[in-house]
Amino acid sequence: MAVSVLIVDDHPSFRATARLLLEVEGYDVVGEAKDGAEAIRQAAALCPDLVLLDVNLPDIDGFAVASRITAANGGAVPAVILTSSRDPSDFGSQVARSGARGFIPKADLSGDTLAALLG
Amino acid sequence: MTPGRPQLWLGLDPDGPPFECPAGRVAGLARSRWRWLVGAAGVAAGVVVALLVAASDWADDKAIIIVELLLIGWSFLGAGLFAWRRRPANRVGPLMVAVAAAWFVAGLTSSDVAVLFTVGYLVSPIPYALVVHLLLAYPSGRVQAPLARAVLAAAYLVAGVGSLLVVLTNPHPPWADGAPANLLAVVDAPGVAAAIETTATLLGAVIVLAAGALLVRRWRRATPLQRKGLAPVLLTGALFLAFLAITLTVDEISSSRALEGGFGALAALFMLAVPYAYVAGVVGSGYSRARAVGSLVDRMNQAANRESLRDAMAESLGDPSLELVFKRRGRDEWVDAEGRRCTAPCDRGVTEILRDGEPIAAIVHRASLGDDPQLMRSVGSAAALALENDRLQAELRARVAELQESRANILAIGLAERRRLERDLHDGAQQRLVALSLQVNLARAKLDDDPATAASLLDSAREELRQALGELRELARGIHPAVLTDRGLEAAVGALADRSPVPVTVQPLPEDRLPPEVEAVAYFVVAESLTNVVKYAHAHEASVSVERVNGHAIVEVRDDGIGGADVGGGTGLRGLADRVAALDGKLEVVSPTGEGTVVRAAIPCASS
Repeated sequence: MAVSVLIVDDHPSFRATARLLLEVEGYDVVGEAKDGAEAIRQAAALCPDLVLLDVNLPDIDGFAVASRITAANGGAVPAVILTSSRDPSDFGSQVARSGARGFIPKADLSGDTLAALLG
Repeated sequence: MTPGRPQLWLGLDPDGPPFECPAGRVAGLARSRWRWLVGAAGVAAGVVVALLVAASDWADDKAIIIVELLLIGWSFLGAGLFAWRRRPANRVGPLMVAVAAAWFVAGLTSSDVAVLFTVGYLVSPIPYALVVHLLLAYPSGRVQAPLARAVLAAAYLVAGVGSLLVVLTNPHPPWADGAPANLLAVVDAPGVAAAIETTATLLGAVIVLAAGALLVRRWRRATPLQRKGLAPVLLTGALFLAFLAITLTVDEISSSRALEGGFGALAALFMLAVPYAYVAGVVGSGYSRARAVGSLVDRMNQAANRESLRDAMAESLGDPSLELVFKRRGRDEWVDAEGRRCTAPCDRGVTEILRDGEPIAAIVHRASLGDDPQLMRSVGSAAALALENDRLQAELRARVAELQESRANILAIGLAERRRLERDLHDGAQQRLVALSLQVNLARAKLDDDPATAASLLDSAREELRQALGELRELARGIHPAVLTDRGLEAAVGALADRSPVPVTVQPLPEDRLPPEVEAVAYFVVAESLTNVVKYAHAHEASVSVERVNGHAIVEVRDDGIGGADVGGGTGLRGLADRVAALDGKLEVVSPTGEGTVVRAAIPCASS
């Protein structure tokens, strides 16, 4: 069964391209969100296997969103993978502390890189 | 100080300009002739009224009446003419002459002739109201405080209306046994007349006491220096008013003619003293003024122990709260000694100090010092030269403060611009490159199975690349437009005009290149102004001109939009003003609501 994915990013062009890429790679993109608040709502409503979460969101910081989603009680907790067009070294240990499974630079996004982090 | 011409000079200059112009001298000659005429008429009036009193069949104690009439009348006349000559624009002189005139007319009360008796009877309380006016108006000649105005109005009302009502109802006053008939009497109601007279007299006593209290208040508010000039008049005036109030009261509540006569004589004595006190006050204040100016000059000249000019002025004028403010060169702006911008306090007096006809500084002082503008001008003139030095220091401090502020603003603007650039790069070109990378990845994955989709993905990747390049170009232009460096201001401004959605007319620019830093600031003035035209002005068209005038590049952007732009309203124009100020230039925004906007920058530029 295909892995269900929620894509969270404030740039529509990234959301559209990532959806296309992941669907080609066999993932099931079940929803999109353009900011942190919408991401938390969608994650609770759609219960995806994976949330692909941009770090720089217009309302809530991506790390905080990751903490909220992964700390949710009841039901299956989705895996969160953070992504950004910035260099990962800009974020230091924040990725590890946020509860996210890992980080993928946006330019390196592919089915293989996701699969490697999901194990 | 308020925008436009500041309302800076409060209660100033009732005595006219410090230097008399030729026209003023002609007017002075005419006034001098008038004074002689008035003096001669006054002397003649005194003689005529005295003769009428002497010829009266019914008046008692004629010698005393005549002495009192002439002594008081001529004293006020003489002192009034002296005051009129000393301070032509001050109303104290004419007021004293008016007291003399009313006094002589009131003297007709002792006449045998019915018409003259009636006129004298009617006018008899008016000289006292005029003396109250004179004392309340001393020394400026104007009654300005609302309370003093109210007391004065009450004095004239009670004296005028009270007298008229009594005259209308009393054909034969009881004190004028054997006098001719009062021609203005319309009814014979001595009871009513007596009641009115009692009321008016007691009201008069209250008014006179209130006026005395106002004199005491003025004394308490005066500086020690002013008290020297005010003392004679305020003291005799207060005593006159006190005895007048007592006389009026005794007149009503006691039947003792001796008591009434005694107090009346004392009141008359102090009334007689008022004009002499005035002359003594003028002479005394002249000495005080000379001493104040002399003391100031001494202090300024004591090089070994030089105190600040402000302290010297405060000491000499007896006003510890005195402050100095300075007019900035070429600006409608005032600063204190530390160079801080300041406004005129509304509860203080302000005296402008001129040099070569131009204001250079102002003394902010206790409001009561404004009563003696001549003193303030003398002190100002004595200090003008030294003030010029203090003004230069204040100007320098103001410039330093401005530069510090402008440098801090430029730093803040630089940081904000970097943040904006980072954000623009992240949200724009960087996102497009990410998308491009993903599309290439995807196209590669599709290349074997689905070449048509792969080709379509590569097409959209090429479009992303084109847009990313465009955004990078726009960003680079915002940092520093290459066309400005390569081809100069005219080409760069032309490019801005071409890209503007609002039609822009560009006037021919100077042929010679301006210094690079001037070109850059001029470019940003035009760029920011045109951005504002597009974003906010709702304009149909705009025009841009750059001219070299007197060593300055004058950059002007006009539009026909809705106006209402304000340098303090946003960071854009504020930032421009700071960029312009950094080159010692000045940015001006004229933007009346509904009448378009003109942004004009004057940037100093040496010839290149």
